[in-house]
Amino acid sequence: MLSMQNISMVYRTDTVETHALREFSLEVGEGEFVAVTGPSGSGKTTFLNIAGLLEKFTAGKYVLDGKDVSSLSDADTSKVRNEKIGFVFQGFNLIPDLNVFDNVDVPLRYRGFNGAERRRRIERVLDMVGLASRPKHLPSQLSGGQQQRVAIARALAGEPRFLLADEPTGNLDSSMAMSIMELIRSINEEGTTIIMVTHDPTLADMAGRNVHIRDGRVSDMSSDMQLADVANG
Amino acid sequence: MFNYYLKLGWLSIRTNPWLSLLMVAAIGTGIGACMTILTVNHAMSSNPIPQKSEVLFHVQLDSWEAGEPGPDGYNPPDQMTYRDAIALQEEAPAFRSVANNRSGLVLEPEGGDENPYTVDIRNTWADFFPMFDLPFLYGSGWDESADENREAVVVLSRELNDRVFGGENSVGRTVRMSGINFRVVGVIDEWLPVPKYYDVTNGAFNLPEEAFIPFTFAIEQDLPRNGNTNCWKPVDGEGRDAFLNSECAWIQFWAELRNEEEEAAYMSWLNAYVEEQKVLGRFPRPLNNRLNDVMEWMEDRQVVEDDAQVMLGLSFLFLVVCLLNTIGLLLAKFMRKTGDISVRRALGARRSDLFLQHMIEAGLIGLGGGVLGLGLTWLGLRGIEVLFGDFVEHLVHLDWQMMLTAIALAIVSALVAGLYPTWRAMQIMPASQLKTQ
Amino acid sequence: MQFGPIWRALMRNKTGAVLIALQMAVTMAIMVNAISIIQTRAESMSRPSGVNEVDTFYLSSIGFNDNFNEQVAVMEDLAALRAMPGVVNAVQTNSVPLSGGGWSMSLATEAGSDVDTTGTAIYFVDEHGIETYDLKLVAGENFAATDMTWRTPEDSTWPGTALITIELAKALFGDDNWQEAVGQTIYIEETQPMTVKGIVERMQAAWNGWDGVERTTLVPQNTAYGGSRYIIRAEPGQRDTLMPQVEEMLAASNRDRLIRGLNTMEETRERSYQGDSSMIKLLLFTIGLLLLVTALGIVGLASFSVSRRTKQIGTRRALGASKADIARYFLSENLLISGVGVVLGAGLTIGLNIWMVDAFDLDSMNALLIPMAMAVLLVVGQLAVLGPARRAASVPPAVATRTI
Repeated sequence: MLSMQNISMVYRTDTVETHALREFSLEVGEGEFVAVTGPSGSGKTTFLNIAGLLEKFTAGKYVLDGKDVSSLSDADTSKVRNEKIGFVFQGFNLIPDLNVFDNVDVPLRYRGFNGAERRRRIERVLDMVGLASRPKHLPSQLSGGQQQRVAIARALAGEPRFLLADEPTGNLDSSMAMSIMELIRSINEEGTTIIMVTHDPTLADMAGRNVHIRDGRVSDMSSDMQLADVANG
Repeated sequence: MFNYYLKLGWLSIRTNPWLSLLMVAAIGTGIGACMTILTVNHAMSSNPIPQKSEVLFHVQLDSWEAGEPGPDGYNPPDQMTYRDAIALQEEAPAFRSVANNRSGLVLEPEGGDENPYTVDIRNTWADFFPMFDLPFLYGSGWDESADENREAVVVLSRELNDRVFGGENSVGRTVRMSGINFRVVGVIDEWLPVPKYYDVTNGAFNLPEEAFIPFTFAIEQDLPRNGNTNCWKPVDGEGRDAFLNSECAWIQFWAELRNEEEEAAYMSWLNAYVEEQKVLGRFPRPLNNRLNDVMEWMEDRQVVEDDAQVMLGLSFLFLVVCLLNTIGLLLAKFMRKTGDISVRRALGARRSDLFLQHMIEAGLIGLGGGVLGLGLTWLGLRGIEVLFGDFVEHLVHLDWQMMLTAIALAIVSALVAGLYPTWRAMQIMPASQLKTQ
Repeated sequence: MQFGPIWRALMRNKTGAVLIALQMAVTMAIMVNAISIIQTRAESMSRPSGVNEVDTFYLSSIGFNDNFNEQVAVMEDLAALRAMPGVVNAVQTNSVPLSGGGWSMSLATEAGSDVDTTGTAIYFVDEHGIETYDLKLVAGENFAATDMTWRTPEDSTWPGTALITIELAKALFGDDNWQEAVGQTIYIEETQPMTVKGIVERMQAAWNGWDGVERTTLVPQNTAYGGSRYIIRAEPGQRDTLMPQVEEMLAASNRDRLIRGLNTMEETRERSYQGDSSMIKLLLFTIGLLLLVTALGIVGLASFSVSRRTKQIGTRRALGASKADIARYFLSENLLISGVGVVLGAGLTIGLNIWMVDAFDLDSMNALLIPMAMAVLLVVGQLAVLGPARRAASVPPAVATRTI
């Protein structure tokens, strides 16, 4: 599903060179649920940005869904993001001027679906996240958990192959966090590949596999595998 | 997608109503200033007779004194002497031609209830009416025989016919002016050439005369002349005939020449005529005859005044200030939405999607500015009327063409102003995190 | 407050600042050039006509049938007018200063057709002309009743005497010799001699745009061309009551003519300069609007800049900056931007002026206008940024610790 080989990412300013990722490699299979953990500054966010095609990398090869996406044009990466990747952000990142329905509508608009198709999809995903009754609410009128459900609905509306979640529960209290995690797991069970970045080991335990990043490299894969086995068991 | 972007634009405008209003106000003010002045200039520089302006020629003969500037410097005088005008009228090979001048007579109403009043008169020829396409309400112009026989006939303006005859068909009835009974042969309908091209010497933005009578009759009766008269030589002797024989220029002369051959033939006739006159001791200056069609003549006379052009220039600079203003405000507005834009990018918006979205938002603000600008233009024109008085009142109005121009200018301005801010918005990278500071 | 750090901060985010500076520059170019035009117009309008404008009015009498004997009517009318209570004096004349319609001729100091001539405006008056127009005789003497002749379509011979203005005397006899003009002979229509009987200080011609507007000749003639114009000077304060009385009296005294064109000198001046005074008003309005637009633009951008930097402001406050420090930061920032703008504006102003002088034959501007406009724009900039600066100053230090 996702294959990264020897990806390097170097940020350069006039005076400093920062290596955010060094020869980073990762394979994620179809239908997997992978948690990516690591201390802050380890390169987690850079990995997420590259995996989500939000940022270009310096060297290496990235194959997504059988297609080399290492050097796509800006318009093509936009298309890939739109069709294949769903994003769930820590800060929900809903557009405050748009109501629930219109927020979920955003990626579908760029996909070019007709009105009926968009409506069908929006109603389906809102129903799935349990917000079918509130399409006209503005983000500011919803609780944090509800906002994150909208964000998840928005990520799923385009039926992506692959969901990227960045600390999806980071801004939520624990009971809400659990229900969001349940939702994410159920999405995975329906066949969507999920990569979740988190610093919280409890959440990481809920994934099928753990990848630990340290200093821009994948580290200590075996123990992660073990932990993943425990969690799965 | 267009509708979607319209909706987004509208939402964005509603989100920052004050900032949006400020932009609409800036564009509206700029458009209002420009369009007010543009409308005035448009009226001043409009073609008063578009269907025929290229076949109507103002004729100038350089009969002025050698070595001395005349009424128009070293250019030929803009009017003609009686001798030359009659020679051209009777002999020159034009399809049509008219010598004409301005006059005024005292009209004595019948019954004597109303006091006598003065009426603006144009002394002219039968060809005047078909040549300048005058619309007739009743009757028609007079026949050429009336010119030849010096008949006391008159064509009335609609207003004068309303005043004298209560708007009835007055053809065949009599008007008494300065002690002479004139027989009405026609009444013209509304006719307001702007500029008044057939006699810019006596005011390019004056109203047309209230009545038209045969030039030949006016000469025979020695009726008064009201127009501009310029002489470079003292009149030799006293009385009418001495004046008619003088070098005083006081007659507007127009010819209708239907094609280039006619124009060339006419010009060579003029030159031959002047050479002939030189033998007789007239025309001391070098050969310098002119034929200008209507728009060339308006240009030559600088009918659009310098003031109007200065104001036009300043008002466009004003629009530039308003646009700089709008660029700044649009930039502020778009940069305020950095987070939203990066989320849209993450969700798959291409740069071209952002371009359309933001240009449409700018266009929407332009539309608002255009509507406001139209209102301000209307107010501005009322202001100009108050300031400059009479002439503007008749001439300047906001037609469909100008209204569409206003809206189009506003939208185009806003789009131009939107280019840079939109470009900046397009550079915003997709991001996984909303940065608030 | 040091400008250094503010300048460096500006340089890192210059688009907004550049836009404001450009806007100020163009505003200044428009403003200064508009004011320069206003000054020229106002100067031309402030030239005195030389005649009493407050108490003077005029009208025309036009005979319209054969019963009308103009020469008799003029004498009767003038006698009646001068006898009216409230009238200082009245005279028959052909034209009125600034009215736009008049008679001009060429004069020379020698007879003949190949001599240098000087253009002059001609006013026909009688010995009451000086008092009616309220002119100041500075040399020689007024006409006497015996100087008067009639000018008719049958006889257009010029009389033997004339009064001229100082400006005309200078044009004819040289700037330093104008006083010696009295008693000299001048020639009109190439050969007809007139003796200069006196010199009046000033009297404008009918055309305010003519460069010889003060070159005027008074000629002692009454005219009989079918239409007569009377100019009447009222006792101070009597003009408006007198006008309808005069109109009525003249209309009633002779039924074979009509009276029209009743106007005051004040109206005439107003109409004469209507284009100029309208242009002045239009330009003043434009300048006002322009300053408003520029000021609003500054308010808008400064507000944006304040809200964008709320956290930074809070941090500064937390680090000990006083409210006044914060306000001063934004005022100083605007001063820097405006400073660049007006310097740029000075260049733009001069460029625009050079172009306008070239294209429209305007006078060059007074260079003093540039520093004045700079000062005005700097003040406008400071006033505009005052509101946003105060809003910035009221940001609480606690904002620094807020995460969103």
